[in-house]
Amino acid sequence: MAPAKFEYAQAEEIRDAFARHGVRYLFLGKSGAILLGFPDTTQDADLFVEKSPANGEAVEHALVELGFGLTESEVGDLRRGKDFVQLKNGPFDLDLIFAPDGIDTFAAAWTRHVDVDGFPVCHPDDIIQSKRAANRAKDRESLPRLIAFRDYWKTRR
Amino acid sequence: MARRMLCWLEMEPDEAQRKQWEAEFEAAAKRPLRQRFRYAFIRTYKPVLDDAPYRSFDTTAAYRAWCDVNLPSWLGYGTGQV
Repeated sequence: MAPAKFEYAQAEEIRDAFARHGVRYLFLGKSGAILLGFPDTTQDADLFVEKSPANGEAVEHALVELGFGLTESEVGDLRRGKDFVQLKNGPFDLDLIFAPDGIDTFAAAWTRHVDVDGFPVCHPDDIIQSKRAANRAKDRESLPRLIAFRDYWKTRR
Repeated sequence: MARRMLCWLEMEPDEAQRKQWEAEFEAAAKRPLRQRFRYAFIRTYKPVLDDAPYRSFDTTAAYRAWCDVNLPSWLGYGTGQV
């Protein structure tokens, strides 16, 4: 059975728990674009997380607080810094991406990021670049509209 | 990376399409974030992908390759490179 859909209140819980634990992260992918105002649909939240042992430990503490049941081995993955971690063992699905396609460093993405009601979000240029680089069928399909949104979004800034 | 970029083909929308999208963007901009969120996140069962509570990959490329090999193509996660 599919878990419940991701809700705004859960995004707030992520934001608040990650802030309490000092996690360095950005919303990425379509969930990030939606926060910026992109009218589209998606199934889960993608977070670009800075890759460092200290940040991995902070993520671990925040996820446990949010109700994710992490095993010792999974905690090790977060601390050692796997590039991609997919969590479906908590109150909602979450993809943690430590090395997204098309974005060189977290620090560079952070300098460009956008704050939306306290949610740290990747700049739309970075979201587009990561989707271009990933080159999945579903990205190829959605990119023209996302690019048009980026152009529209820039005129409103 | 270069191999992936070579496959990229970006379709330019025509003027009518662009205008329709802009109307959608304008309408969305008038809605509060909480309301946009409510209708943006959906939930459907994704075979294979949803069948394990946890996965991790040493590299993002390894994750992409896993999607290419293991997921049904209609889910759209594949790059068509494998």
